[in-house]
Amino acid sequence: MKVKIHLLFILLFFSSVLLFCSKSENEAIEENTDTGEELALDYSTHELPQDINWITNNNYKTFASTEARKGGQFNYYINSFPLTFRTVGPDSNTSTRSYFLNNHMSLIDIHPNTEEPVPALATHWAFDKDGKTMYFKLNKKAVWSDGKQVTADDYIYTLEFMRSKHINAPWYNNYYTKEIDKVIKYDDYTISISAPKKVPDLWLRLPISPIPKHFYGRLDKDFVKKYNWKIEPNTGAYILRDYSKGKYLIFERKKDWWAKDLRYYENRYNVDRFKLIVIRDDNVAFEYFKKGNLDCFPASQPEIWHQKGNGGIFDQGYARKIQFYNDTRRPTYGFWLNMDRELFKDINVRYAFAHAVNFEKLNSNVLRDDYERLHTFDTGYGKYTNRKIKARKYSIKKVEKYMQKAGWNRGKDGIWEKNGQRYSVEITYGSPIHNPKMVFLKEEAKKAGIEYKLDLLDPSTWYKKLVENKHMISFMGLSGGGLRPSPWQAFHSANAHKPQTNNATNTDDAEMDKLIEAYDNSVNANERIKLSHKIQQRIHDICAWVPLYQMPYTRSFYWKWMKVPNIPGTKNSSEVFGDPGGVSIFWIDEDEKKETLKAMKEGKVFEPVTIIDKTYKAKN
Amino acid sequence: MFNFNPLTIKQFNRFRSIKRGYFSLIIFIILIIFSLSAELFVNNRALLVRYNGEFYFPAYGDIIPGKVFGLDYEYETNYRELDKIFHNTGSDNYVILPLVPYNAFETDLKDNAYPPFPPSFEEKHYFGTDKTGRDIAARLVYGFRIAIFFSLILLIANYITGISIGCLMGYIGGKFDLFFQRIIEIWSNVPYLYAIIIISSIIIPSFSSLLLIMIFFGWISMTWYMRTATYKEKEREYVLAAKALGASNFRIIFKHIIPNTISIIVTFIPFSITSGITALTALDYLGFGMPPPTPSWGQLLSEASEFTTSASWIGISVISALVIVLTMVTFIGEAIREAFDPKMHTTYE
Repeated sequence: MKVKIHLLFILLFFSSVLLFCSKSENEAIEENTDTGEELALDYSTHELPQDINWITNNNYKTFASTEARKGGQFNYYINSFPLTFRTVGPDSNTSTRSYFLNNHMSLIDIHPNTEEPVPALATHWAFDKDGKTMYFKLNKKAVWSDGKQVTADDYIYTLEFMRSKHINAPWYNNYYTKEIDKVIKYDDYTISISAPKKVPDLWLRLPISPIPKHFYGRLDKDFVKKYNWKIEPNTGAYILRDYSKGKYLIFERKKDWWAKDLRYYENRYNVDRFKLIVIRDDNVAFEYFKKGNLDCFPASQPEIWHQKGNGGIFDQGYARKIQFYNDTRRPTYGFWLNMDRELFKDINVRYAFAHAVNFEKLNSNVLRDDYERLHTFDTGYGKYTNRKIKARKYSIKKVEKYMQKAGWNRGKDGIWEKNGQRYSVEITYGSPIHNPKMVFLKEEAKKAGIEYKLDLLDPSTWYKKLVENKHMISFMGLSGGGLRPSPWQAFHSANAHKPQTNNATNTDDAEMDKLIEAYDNSVNANERIKLSHKIQQRIHDICAWVPLYQMPYTRSFYWKWMKVPNIPGTKNSSEVFGDPGGVSIFWIDEDEKKETLKAMKEGKVFEPVTIIDKTYKAKN
Repeated sequence: MFNFNPLTIKQFNRFRSIKRGYFSLIIFIILIIFSLSAELFVNNRALLVRYNGEFYFPAYGDIIPGKVFGLDYEYETNYRELDKIFHNTGSDNYVILPLVPYNAFETDLKDNAYPPFPPSFEEKHYFGTDKTGRDIAARLVYGFRIAIFFSLILLIANYITGISIGCLMGYIGGKFDLFFQRIIEIWSNVPYLYAIIIISSIIIPSFSSLLLIMIFFGWISMTWYMRTATYKEKEREYVLAAKALGASNFRIIFKHIIPNTISIIVTFIPFSITSGITALTALDYLGFGMPPPTPSWGQLLSEASEFTTSASWIGISVISALVIVLTMVTFIGEAIREAFDPKMHTTYE
């Protein structure tokens, strides 16, 4: 009995502590919202300067097909359900985010073939003489998905939103403070946006995407929690209509979308709805595709293209294959040597490493000659790419030359040695998909006297190791930059020897710094092109980034009823059948779908079809 | 020096009389010995090379660079090619290659064809290759070696901890017993496979670190059985007699109680071995086990699931290997259990 009473007391004590805690926490929140941050933004109307030279680009060739038909439901899959529907803040940077962001239009869009600005939310734009300001005339028809007009205030509010500490997104806080200075309203449909200083290619930076002011209003500390599963109004063609957490997302095209008749949006956004089903395993997803439950399947990987794309539905002509060459910015797949490690301080040792990477044999024996060698860091940037640079080739003779120059000798196990140290390197990577490549390269490097220790980690651990500079060599490809090379983040000494930066090689080179600074500060396109070439040459000379491969095309499997124009994609298409809300131009032929399904029941077969389109193949 | 008591001999004879268990044990031991000397049967290094009147034994020791045999490279000699060269030149130099002339790491690739390659006697890929072109037979053998020693070390470590703590709990009893019971209850509620997955996604798992993690969670199950058994044995007359004679607690536990509970321990051993092997295989299958390119059955299994129809030989060989090994261990376990069954030795009237 005594024990029981004691227990009761303890329980009472604990619960009172808990009550006390929760109460004080609530009070704290209330206090904070009272003294919420003040972001003094100017919502007043100013006078528009005279002599503005308005531009619009309504003469470029369109890239969608007039044969396209509207209708149907497109079924596709995602590997995991998003952790939140927010597009900023904690947990928002997921692979599904692009499905939401693609439906948030910007002031101007980029034509995927000419890579020039075209009208979107703005009908016209203009450049100020100061070199840091752009003016925009907003399209008066533009409305949010809830019917409210998109006005100048939404753009001013974007800064308020993105600079707010409550969204819990330091990167956006920083970007919208350092890259964008102010938004000025001239009337409800005319604004200007300024950068803090003169920058090259203003039109790539300033045209922001508006945030609906009427939807968020004044932000508070609860933002992250409150908007986790709210569907934000957008301006694009599709909006999330239905979902089941962990199972699927259904997007639907807006009935009377305001932009459907804009020149560059015609004949696009063809499917009425698209359903994204959560399938965690790609092999399982392929089985779904084979049954016709998914309309297409990404097949760029050699194993999938060659091993799964045969027999059955492919031979019977129900499903087809497409290989589409694009000419877009390539991920920088290669080895990133951490120069903070003693071993890699000697340039000869780095050169030896580069010459011990046998890309040719890897490509012919493992990758089925499907890949091409990546030569320079900024591949696919048009004139900005330095095509003179050629990656170092596998050569045991050259490895020997460089290693002997550095004073190393082959040890008893055939691995180079110097003062008791072996040339044994740890290669960290974050996906088992690279295993076959790494296993092969390891054996080839061994012949050249370099031992690879493979360190496959789970992606988040790998990333952590990388940003904390604990890696020796990381195998990875960075992608996702803008239309112009941006070498500062990966090669400027300001980011070297520090955690949480993209300078994974810890390049700390005075000449490189000079070149990058000149490149970032120049506003002259020709000069920037020349500097970009020099920077790429310097990256090649330093040899801390050893390039491996690029894939110059995208490949898919798709069902017969999926239709594409004569030129199935654009210069920048990363997939032929992808997000219907993105730059995709395919459509579904409903009649053909019925016909095909009927033919399958009756056992009628069609000619097998494989499309290979080289319209945009880069000449190298 | 070592006198078996008549009961043990009886039990052993009983075990021998259960044929499938007995033969399984013999085959199993042979397999372990074979895997220990696998370098002599499954290896890309030759057993013996005769070159210009001299003999070389490359299977163990440092590498012999190609230059030694008149080839133009300084990395390790490719003995399969050397064999072909000697054959073609018709000299009296010769190479004796192991039965399976591949090791578990090298990728054997061809022009114009891509792995996985089907089984081929001509190329001595008896079970074919995996998707990177590595010989499956070699990976099975070396994978077995790792798996079996992993599970044996795991077993020994788990049993030492489990049995000592279990015995102490039963023997000392009281508060000590109560305390450890609670600890173990809490401990056993940790979902240990998940814990291993979490830990091994933070650190790079290696043979020893994986072993440590598994021991950390694996010693519990044995404690309960030993605790109960010790409680029972403690009250027997022979323990009282030993106590009366002034034997120390240590002596009583190790000389009297444990030998009398041996049947419990022995019957559990085979099942612990299977669980060790399956746990390692499962972890490798999920990608949380040994880092690549360590040969492992789990990794082969995951490849098998990728190539169910197009390369069935991967699945067939690794699943058969698993089934055979696990069945053999189960047979052994069954036979031991039966051999130790007290009903065979006591007659009640």
